[in-house]
Amino acid sequence: MSHSQLYLNLAVNGLVEGLIIAMAALGITLVYAVAKFPNAATGDFMTFSAYTAKGASVLAGGSLVFGAGVAVLASALLAALAYLLIFRRLAGRKLVAPLVVSIGLAFLIRNTLTFFVGTDPTVLPVPIVRAVEVGGIFLQPLDLAVAAGAAISLAAAFIVLHKTPIGRRMRAVAGNADLARVSGIRAGRVMLQLWLLVGMLAAVAGVLLAAKSVIEPEMGWHLLLPAFAAAILGGVGSPIGALVGGVLIGLAQELSVPLVGSTYKAAVGFVVILVVLLVRPSGLLGRDRSVR
Amino acid sequence: MSSYLIAVTTQIGIYGLLTLSLSLQYGYTGLINFGQVGFYAIGAYAAALLGTALGWGPWGSLAAAALFAAVAAVPIGLLTLRLREDYLAIVTLGFAEVVRLTIVAEDWLTNGTAGISGIARPFAALGVGIERDLAFLALILVALVLVAVGLGVIVRSPFGRIVKAIRDDEDAVRVLGKEPFVPRIKVLCLGAAIAGFAGGLQAQYIGYVGPDQFISYVTFIIWIAMIIGGTRSFLGAIVGAGVVLLFLEGSRFLRDELPDISETALASARLAIVGLALILTMLYRPGGLVGGKDAR
Repeated sequence: MSHSQLYLNLAVNGLVEGLIIAMAALGITLVYAVAKFPNAATGDFMTFSAYTAKGASVLAGGSLVFGAGVAVLASALLAALAYLLIFRRLAGRKLVAPLVVSIGLAFLIRNTLTFFVGTDPTVLPVPIVRAVEVGGIFLQPLDLAVAAGAAISLAAAFIVLHKTPIGRRMRAVAGNADLARVSGIRAGRVMLQLWLLVGMLAAVAGVLLAAKSVIEPEMGWHLLLPAFAAAILGGVGSPIGALVGGVLIGLAQELSVPLVGSTYKAAVGFVVILVVLLVRPSGLLGRDRSVR
Repeated sequence: MSSYLIAVTTQIGIYGLLTLSLSLQYGYTGLINFGQVGFYAIGAYAAALLGTALGWGPWGSLAAAALFAAVAAVPIGLLTLRLREDYLAIVTLGFAEVVRLTIVAEDWLTNGTAGISGIARPFAALGVGIERDLAFLALILVALVLVAVGLGVIVRSPFGRIVKAIRDDEDAVRVLGKEPFVPRIKVLCLGAAIAGFAGGLQAQYIGYVGPDQFISYVTFIIWIAMIIGGTRSFLGAIVGAGVVLLFLEGSRFLRDELPDISETALASARLAIVGLALILTMLYRPGGLVGGKDAR
């Protein structure tokens, strides 16, 4: 394989991973915009979804579609419960309260999972299909399916955000919660819709990540740093920024491997955060609300 | 005093130091540091490498552990402390992870996942036995008291009043002509130095360092200890560290009572309870179980 072919293959892989990161980053940026805190449990929502998909598909005799459907419903429910039982009660508190609680929630979800299923890695029952070569690029049909799934889910999320009353109300609450309330928008209902949407996004991202690699307890936690990096790079609070940021982080991670080795791949997100904070703290597409 | 009791008290002392440093940074100054384990790791590896590869004495290694961690905090502070408060949280979380990755990847320096062993402790003259363990414990407890008293003096000093004023209303501090940035970065570095010192003590106590000792779990144990003890009480920080470590240690004894549950499941249950405790204390007792009078 020639040099440029190697990089092309890495870029394809990075693009697929980037779309998954973008979904997590979109969840983070939406919660940030509306509920005003960085949700550190985002990754563990994904892990929960991956394990649920595995469990449900095994119960259904190997049906992946059934497993994914159950995972999306269960994760939406989990996120809604997290809002109703926990985050709703923290409204009006300083940012650190929901932030610390989201980390506690991440620990609780992850370790409750491992209490029941252990820490051994497992996989989703995806069919193994031979890669097809297109002009020197080896395309895995599975990767194409994952990318398509991510793209469709992201498109659906953007339609909800920009073309429906639900999205309009969410943006109203994000922009000015008091003004939104005066205009007759019920903030509690908007919040519940937000968490349902965020739960579903994390669920699909978790299933896609599980299909692409293995299911293990730390899979979501490890995606948290790149997802934060994507949200910050795109501009915190900007949904389209999360998409752009996610794809760029995914590409940068994969393309860094020939240069710095695979261990430091996970450090790419950190470096990107540092550079963005140094050069343009508001991110690529964000409004400047970053300074204290 | 049985050697087990000495071991548990030693760990409580080391975590007590870590909790004190977080209490200074978060409780008194409002800095959300989610990367305490990164500074702890830098201190531990500094003491380990200086003590073994360069043959420094244990006392010099401990001082260097604090210094290295403090220096590592400077660029992080420069970059984040002028920005929104949650950026420090995210950057320190990433920093701690990158420290661990670096330890794994740079095996020419750190011996990678195999770690470094043979780290010497002070009081070598006492031989290997309970006297030496007791002497080391005494050292830790003296350090703990000195740090707690020293921090108490600092927060009551004019500098401490500025720090608390910045936490409560930084705009008011600015209007009075004080720039919040400089006190903040000083506190970040001082806290990092204490965490690095604790790392040096831990490296010498165990005699070994490896990347598995420095996972994010450590940071959140420190957070829960601080919150349980009351974020604005140095005595509370030490009590909190004691309560959390006694719970983690004590639950190991359940092993004998619950033979049907595997070791992994028990470890998971412990951590799930830590997560649940973090949620419940933030919901119902944000000022801590001991302190109580905390502004929300």
